[in-house]
Amino acid sequence: MNIATNPMPGKKANKLSATRIAGKLVNDYWEMVWRAKEEGKLICWYEGSAINPFLEAADICWVHGEAYSAMLAARHQEVKAQQVAEERGYMRELCSYARTHLGCAVSNQRLRGDDTGAVPDDDDLTWKLPAPDMIISAYAYCSTGQQWDEMTSRVFGKKVPIFNVSLPWIWGSKPDAGYLKGQEWEETSDYVTRQLNDMVKFIEEQTGKPYPWDRLYEMMADIKRASELRLEAMELCTAQPAPASFFDWVVSIAPINNLPVAGVKNYFETVLDEVKARVAAGEGCVPDEKYRLFFDGIMNWNKVGWLANKFANYDAAVIAGRYTHMAFWQEPGLINPNDPVRGMAQNYLICPNNHASPILIKLIMDLCRKFEVDGMVIHASRTCRAFTNPQFMIAETAQRELGIPSSMFEGDVTDESFYKDEVLNSRVEAMLEAIESRRMSVVA
Amino acid sequence: MDRSDIIARFAEVAQDPLAYAAAWKARTGKQVIGSFPMNFPGELAHAADTLPMILQESDEAITVGHGVLFPFYCGYTRSMVDQAASGKFDVLDAIMFGDHCVQLLGAADAIRMKLTDTRVIFFQLISSMCDPWTQGRSEESFGKLRDELEDFIGAKVSDAALHASIRLFNKNRALIRKLYEMRKAGTAAIRAVEMQHVVKSSMIMDKAEHTDLLQELVASYTDAPAADRNVRLHLSGHFCQAPKPELLNMIESCGVTVVGDDLYHGFRYISTDVPETGDPVAGLARWYMDRNTGVPCPTRVQNNVDWEAYLLDAMREEKADGMIVLMAKFCEPHMYYYPEVKEAFEGAGVPHLLIETEHEGMAMEGLKTRVETFVEIVKRREAA
Repeated sequence: MNIATNPMPGKKANKLSATRIAGKLVNDYWEMVWRAKEEGKLICWYEGSAINPFLEAADICWVHGEAYSAMLAARHQEVKAQQVAEERGYMRELCSYARTHLGCAVSNQRLRGDDTGAVPDDDDLTWKLPAPDMIISAYAYCSTGQQWDEMTSRVFGKKVPIFNVSLPWIWGSKPDAGYLKGQEWEETSDYVTRQLNDMVKFIEEQTGKPYPWDRLYEMMADIKRASELRLEAMELCTAQPAPASFFDWVVSIAPINNLPVAGVKNYFETVLDEVKARVAAGEGCVPDEKYRLFFDGIMNWNKVGWLANKFANYDAAVIAGRYTHMAFWQEPGLINPNDPVRGMAQNYLICPNNHASPILIKLIMDLCRKFEVDGMVIHASRTCRAFTNPQFMIAETAQRELGIPSSMFEGDVTDESFYKDEVLNSRVEAMLEAIESRRMSVVA
Repeated sequence: MDRSDIIARFAEVAQDPLAYAAAWKARTGKQVIGSFPMNFPGELAHAADTLPMILQESDEAITVGHGVLFPFYCGYTRSMVDQAASGKFDVLDAIMFGDHCVQLLGAADAIRMKLTDTRVIFFQLISSMCDPWTQGRSEESFGKLRDELEDFIGAKVSDAALHASIRLFNKNRALIRKLYEMRKAGTAAIRAVEMQHVVKSSMIMDKAEHTDLLQELVASYTDAPAADRNVRLHLSGHFCQAPKPELLNMIESCGVTVVGDDLYHGFRYISTDVPETGDPVAGLARWYMDRNTGVPCPTRVQNNVDWEAYLLDAMREEKADGMIVLMAKFCEPHMYYYPEVKEAFEGAGVPHLLIETEHEGMAMEGLKTRVETFVEIVKRREAA
């Protein structure tokens, strides 16, 4: 047992109470997924980009692979799926999101698809994920996404129809290149838009019905508004003390990314109200904010609460992050609810890794300046190379341009065995000391 | 030159590709373009009157590269950034790449940041191979690469020049395929490491120079070797980087004759020709797609093509008794696909052995024991 699962003594994070609503929404959503077959719904598996509104509008039950793996990890029920995957030959260095999800697929096929007569345990979430009727692959930047979907299709004997949307990386080498601009951006946006329109035809083939565009328009109007509310609440965290933390925004990923659209706007209205109230009252996300930090890297889903409390105990408010602040319908201004497909394509193209380093690092530095951070904590997620690719360059640039120190620790998205608590402790403590001594030298 | 001299020359180039490039550049005064594997159309850069060379993993230990990429990346990508950060790529005038692998993207991004005076050109190839738009999108990507090349050299690349390069590259590939046929038929005793020298040097050398030597080499195999009683094996896997020569030698020292492979530094590289007529860019796109149906690659996705079925077929044709899978540590595409291969081989009752390779070197004695045991298993199955 990893010692980092024991209750942590000391100060606790002052989590947004609204995030408890997110927990309920998440639970309701998965209950809906587990009932979907009985209710006669078609089921689509997908990873990466938030294509769920396209599916929800067509009354297809959508299952996001990373979300399922993250949910298992958050509930500490991921190990069995990972063991099943390993038994089939998937190695430990593979993306643990994929490995966990493929373990569920293998388990599903063994217990449901092979007619072996085995009796599954209803509490075992590994097998409980309903098998797909279709797979749509639309993954920005990381090559692993497309391969994961392909292998999923093969686990199901290639009997499930699969549709691939290719999302090119924005390399940004031309003189006119930049964030959301330039010829490459426009051409790439057009290319993905064409594929999404073909994806809708694929959906029509699966449902046998004309695509209900009006429903999509309504949903995208709600998502646009929810995104605006979320960004407004994030913006208020420039206040000192910061009213909400990176970890609150992590908990709020599911609502914006993959939960049923109907509850999302209300959720972020509640979040915004609470953040405003905290700013007015001078209430922070940690009891005593002494340090303000940026979090680079994907989340360690087994450790959300653990890390939130750990940083609170260091009097460190982790305010913003690449994962939370540069993704998930991040550019609502691009979405025209009456003609949303191109804006959706563009939002898929700005996943936090899909711009090459010159653009990506500038965006990160801008966030660090905006939130006036003192340092950067970098999660080197062992099996998520999409996030770790630019991290040395990010750390170097933060030191060079902003004069702020970084602290790296190794962990993983859903494989707890890669997380080393003592390494994190000693490195974060060293960074906080460096921040402290810098402050003292400024005073002197 | 006699056979051993030709192979020695190929080995010399394969062992120090950047030294060959520097000498070629000094001799010709022309530009050198490095590319990442595995689907760069060298024909285009050749037609632009430059030397295209596929950048190779170095044997040297990673040093400064540790400050650029984490140790949990494949040896190829770590070696690339290490060579870039330590000034080894100064001989290159440009670097080009188009393959979509997350680790390669990370390496290319870092190299661009490190080599600020070197032009790094990216043309993303679609990796989903059986979509209605795959051919068209591939044409667009190769067309963009042509535009970038023309901009880089400051001149047009004519269709005639491109067709000439395609013919030369096809000839080179055909000659190497001839060596494969001769090895399979038992009319030429070509060791695995020698075949690697032949293919790897083809990725580096001036294609005309290489082709001239190849013709001599093919013609030199007039003496059919004596039949041996070795176990016949197929080598599979190892994509971007070449397996270390000492590993290949160790395998063959265990009573093994390698009769076929689908290594990138092997048959995968030379498996497919480019159409010699018609629009040359469309021809390159056709080549890109045909390669994956010819020798399926786990770095691409193609639902109607099965790598494991290809391997079993190839082994039947080669009369191979078993297969050794060489997997470069941290190679994600290979890790994804391996369970499909494993299940298919177990289902077909064909023995295979998985060896995970590392950049930093391997405990060869321990590996040798595993290979020897595998060879014994294969022999017993044959005898049963």
